[in-house]
Amino acid sequence: MLTLGIDIGSASSKAVLLDNGTTVLAESVVEAGTGTSGRARVISELFEKAHISWSDIALTVATGYGRSSVKEADRQISEITCHARGIVFLRPSVRTVIDIGGQDAKSISLDERGEIKNFFMNDKCAAGTGRFLENMSRILEIGMGEMEKCHFRSTHPAHVSSTCAVFAESEIISLLSNGVERDDIVAGVHQSIAVRACALANRAGVVDDVVMCGGVARDGGVVDAISKNLGRNVYVAPNPQLTGALGAAVLAFEYAKRNGVSHEQ
Amino acid sequence: MNNEQASSKELLANYQAKLDEEAREAKKNGKLVCWSASVAPPEMCVTMDIAMVYPETHAAGIGARKGAVDMLDVASEKGYSVDNCSYARVNLGYMELLRQYAKTGVKPEKLANSPAADVPLPDLVITCNNICNTLLKWYENIAAELHIPCIVIDVPFNHTMPIPDYSKRYIVKQFEHAITQLEGITGRKFDYDRFLEVQKQTQRSVAQWKRIASFLKYKPSPLNGFDFFNYMALIVCARSRDYAEITFRKFADELEEKVKNGVFAFGDKEKSRVTWEGIAVWPYLSHTFKTLKGAGSLMTGSAYPGMWNLEYTPGDLMTMAEAYTRIYINTCLDNRASELASVAENGKCDGLLLHMNRSCKLMSVLNYQTAEAVKEKLGIPYVSFDGDQTDPGNFAPAQFDTRVQALCEMMKK
Amino acid sequence: MNRIDEIIAQLSHIASHPAEAIAQHKKETGKGAVGIIYVYAPEEIIHASGYLPVGLWGGQKTISKARAYLVPFACSIMQSVMELECEGAYDDLSAVLFSVPCDTLKCMSQMWKGKAPVITFTHPQNRKIAAANDFLAEEYALVRSKLEKILGTTITDEAIEKSIEVYNENRRTMRDFCDAAAEHPEIIDAVTRHAVIKARFFMEKSKHTALVKELVSELRKQPIKAWKGKKVVLTGIMAEPNGLLELFKTNGLAVVADDLAQESRQFRNDVPAGRTPLYRLAKWWQELDGCSLATNPTKPRGQMLIDLTTEHEADGVVVCMMKFCDPEEFDYPIYYAELQQAGIRNTMIEVDLESKSFEQVSTRLQTFAEVLG
Repeated sequence: MLTLGIDIGSASSKAVLLDNGTTVLAESVVEAGTGTSGRARVISELFEKAHISWSDIALTVATGYGRSSVKEADRQISEITCHARGIVFLRPSVRTVIDIGGQDAKSISLDERGEIKNFFMNDKCAAGTGRFLENMSRILEIGMGEMEKCHFRSTHPAHVSSTCAVFAESEIISLLSNGVERDDIVAGVHQSIAVRACALANRAGVVDDVVMCGGVARDGGVVDAISKNLGRNVYVAPNPQLTGALGAAVLAFEYAKRNGVSHEQ
Repeated sequence: MNNEQASSKELLANYQAKLDEEAREAKKNGKLVCWSASVAPPEMCVTMDIAMVYPETHAAGIGARKGAVDMLDVASEKGYSVDNCSYARVNLGYMELLRQYAKTGVKPEKLANSPAADVPLPDLVITCNNICNTLLKWYENIAAELHIPCIVIDVPFNHTMPIPDYSKRYIVKQFEHAITQLEGITGRKFDYDRFLEVQKQTQRSVAQWKRIASFLKYKPSPLNGFDFFNYMALIVCARSRDYAEITFRKFADELEEKVKNGVFAFGDKEKSRVTWEGIAVWPYLSHTFKTLKGAGSLMTGSAYPGMWNLEYTPGDLMTMAEAYTRIYINTCLDNRASELASVAENGKCDGLLLHMNRSCKLMSVLNYQTAEAVKEKLGIPYVSFDGDQTDPGNFAPAQFDTRVQALCEMMKK
Repeated sequence: MNRIDEIIAQLSHIASHPAEAIAQHKKETGKGAVGIIYVYAPEEIIHASGYLPVGLWGGQKTISKARAYLVPFACSIMQSVMELECEGAYDDLSAVLFSVPCDTLKCMSQMWKGKAPVITFTHPQNRKIAAANDFLAEEYALVRSKLEKILGTTITDEAIEKSIEVYNENRRTMRDFCDAAAEHPEIIDAVTRHAVIKARFFMEKSKHTALVKELVSELRKQPIKAWKGKKVVLTGIMAEPNGLLELFKTNGLAVVADDLAQESRQFRNDVPAGRTPLYRLAKWWQELDGCSLATNPTKPRGQMLIDLTTEHEADGVVVCMMKFCDPEEFDYPIYYAELQQAGIRNTMIEVDLESKSFEQVSTRLQTFAEVLG
C-alpha cells in the first residue's frame, strides 16, 4: 500500500512516498512554500520520480503551515505530530526532538512508545530561527552553506546576546567593525540560536536520544553548538527537512490500516 | 577597618561585602535570612535581628558583572516569559540553582561559573509594591517555591493626592500585622524600644543620603549621577544600619571638600547636564557613562535615588506609612511629573534622557507623558532609548549613542 | 431546539453589538452607561444608580493610533483599549471606572484619551487581613460619591443592597449555565458559551439572568449525548476573539469549565454577607482566589485548576496567555509544574486581540487535540 505525506511549510514544500509503511520510495523538495506553486510542483515532481499517479495512493496526509491548502489530502495533521512520527520512524530510540525551521523553533518530548508527552514552541520571534540565521549570513556575507565551515574554524566564539533580531544585527556590525574574526562571529551566532533551542528543550527535560530536524539542522555548526550546550550527543535526522512529510506518510499508513483502507478504494 | 581613614569608596565596598558575609554567617548559625524588595520597610526585620538580602541589588550586580544571561536561561527553562522583569528572572534563575545545589549537594555549573555574590536562600521574604506590582508576583513565587512565609506591605496606588488617612491606616495595620507575623516566625517578642532606635537610625541614613543628592545642585557639579547610582546599594541594603549612615556621611564630606577646592566631576569640560529617568542599564553601565562623558554631558538628575528619601517621624507609624507609599511612581501622573520636574530643576538640567526599560512597565509606559509635562513646565527637551536593567539583549550601544547625540544637539539650541 | 437557538442568537447579538445595547438601555430608562475598565469592579454600585454598567474589554483591532501613546510591549488587551479610546469609541459613556491591579493599568488610568470622566480606585493586595476590607470599603465610598457627582444622582445603601441581590442571582445562574453547557457541548460550543457569558457585560443583569435561566432550563430538557471529542478547561484573562474560539470547535475541544478573568472568575463567588453593602463588596475581593491579579502567597491557582479539571473530567487544560500580561506570565511556571506533577495535560496558546489569522494557535490546538487523542 502506498501512502503519501505532504508538508507545505513557510519556505518550502516537501513530499514523501511510502510503501507499506516501511520503505521510502521517493522524496521531493521544492524551495517554495505555502501560497505559491510549491504545492503543485512538489507533488508532480514526486509522481514523476516514482512513476505513479493519484490512483496509486491509498491515503494522503498533509501537514505544515499550508496544510489546509492541500485539497487532495484525506487528513490534515499538525507538523508537530508529523515531525515527531517521522523521527521515531528513523530513530525509534528518540526521546527529545529539536526542530528549528524557517520561522519557528520547537522542542518535542516523547515517551517510550514514541508518543508526544509535551511540546514547546517559539513561533513569535525571529531570534533562534532560520530567519535569524539567514539575516546573519547576509550581514556577514557568508553563504548559508559556508557557515558550518566557519564555525569549526573559530577559536574564540564571540558573544551575541541580543534577543531582538534588529539589535543583533547592530551587535554583529559592531563586532565586525571592532575587527572580530568572522569565524568567531559565526560561532557566536550559532551559540545564540543554540541557547534558545536548548531553553525550549530544557522546558520538558532533555532525555536521550536527542534528534534535530528542520532546515537549520543542515548547518552542522548549530548542531555542534546545541550538542555542547546540552552536554550530549545530538543526532541529525537524515534529510532533516523531510521528517515532517515522512511522518505524515507514516501516519497516513497507520490510519489506513486502522480503518481498512487499501489502494483499491 | 578604620572608618576614619577609609574613603567612602572603600567603605562602600567593605560594607557591601560585610552584609553578604553576615547573611552567610546568619544561615550557618541558624539565624534567619530574609530576602526583601528594595524599598520595602526593613525596620521591623532589622529590629528582630534578621539578616537582610536584596535580590534587586544582587541581580544588578550580576548584570553589571556580565553574568545575567546564564541566570536568565535558567528562568526561561522554568517557563518564565522574556517579557517579565529581568531582575526577577535573574533572581529566580539564581534561586533555582541554589535550590538544586541544596538538594543534590553538587554545585550546578552555571552557579559555579557565576560572578554573583554568594548569598544564602531565605527563610522568609518581605515585599512591597511601592515601586511596582511585579514585586508582588515575584515574591509570591519565591515564597511558593521555597514554602516560606511572605510578608506583604501593600501600598495602594495613589491615584489621588494628597494621600488619604484611610490609606495610611491600612498600611499601618500591615506594619502591625507584619510584627505579629515576625513574632510567630522568630518565636520572640518584638522589641518596641529597639524598633524606635532602628527608625531613628534609618532617618540618620536617609538624611546623609539626601545630603549627597544636594550636591547635584552645584554648577559645575562635584558629583556625577552615575557615582550616586553606585552608592545606592547601601541605601537599599543597609538604611536601617549605621553602615549606610557612615558611608554616606563620608561621601558627602568628600563632596563638600571638592566643592571647597573647586574639584568637579567633569573638571572644566561640563557642557550640559541631563536627568536620567529610570534604572541604570547595569550590563552597559560603563558604556552609558562613557558616551555621556564623551559628549561632556553630566548626569545631575535622577528621581531613582530619591525613591529612598524615606523621611518620617520615628515612633509615628502614620508618617512611616506615608513615606513608604508616596514613592513617585506610586502616584498619579501630576505628582509623578512634578517630582521629576523638581529633580531636573534642582539638578539644573538641560535635558531628559528616558530609559525605555523593556523589563519595567511602570517605569516605561508613562515616560512620554511625564516628559511632555516636564517639557511644558521647564522647557527642556527629551529623548528616549531602548534598554533593560539587567538583560544585555535589550540594549544596543549604537542606538544609545545616536540618541544621546540627538539630545545634545537639542540641548544646544 | 428553537427557543435555545433564539436565546443564543439574541445573546450573541448583544455580545457583539455593545453600542446598540447601550442605546437601547438609554431609550428604555433615560439613563446612559458607565464603562468599566476591568478586571474586577464593584459593578453593583453603578447598577444601583440606574445606569448600565458596561464592560470594556478591548476588541479585535488593528493597532495604529494607540502606538502614539502606548509602548508596544504593553499587554494586548490594553493596546486595543487604547486604540478604542483614541477612536472615540468610549466617548458616549457617562463615566469610566478604572481599577489598577497591575502596573500597566496604573499607567493606563493616568493617560485616558477618551472624553468621559475617569474614576480610579485601587484594590488592596494584602487581602486576607480585615484592614484590607476597611480600606476597600473606603475606596468604594469614594467611587460612589464621585459617581453621584458625575451622574447627578444619589446612590443609597438600600439600592446597592438590592443590586447585590440581583448580581448574586446572576452569578448563581451563570455557574448553573456553565454546568449545563458542559453537559451539552454539542449545543453549546466554545463560541456560543463565550457569547452567552460576554453578553452579561452589556445587559442589565436581571434581564441577562432571565434569558440565561430560560436557556439553562431548555438545555436541561435535552438528552445527554456522549461527546466524541475531548474536554478542556481554559485558564487566563480571556479567550477571544471568535476566530480563536472557532479553533476549539474545529478540533473537537469542548470547553467544560473555565478559570478566565472575563468569565468564571467574575461569578464563581457570590458577594457575601456583611455589615454594610460597601463592606460586602469589599469582602468579595478578599474571598476571590486563583487570579493572577489577586495576591496570595500560597498560590492556590494550581490546585484550583487541578480540582476544576478533575471535577469536570476534563482531558486537559488550555492556558490562554494574554500577550505581554506580566501577572499571568508570573503565575504560569508555578501552576505548570503542579499540573505536570498531577499528570494533567496542558498546552499554552497566546491571546493577541490584534490577530486576524490564527495559524499558530491552530497548530498548537490541533497538536494538543492529537496528543490527547
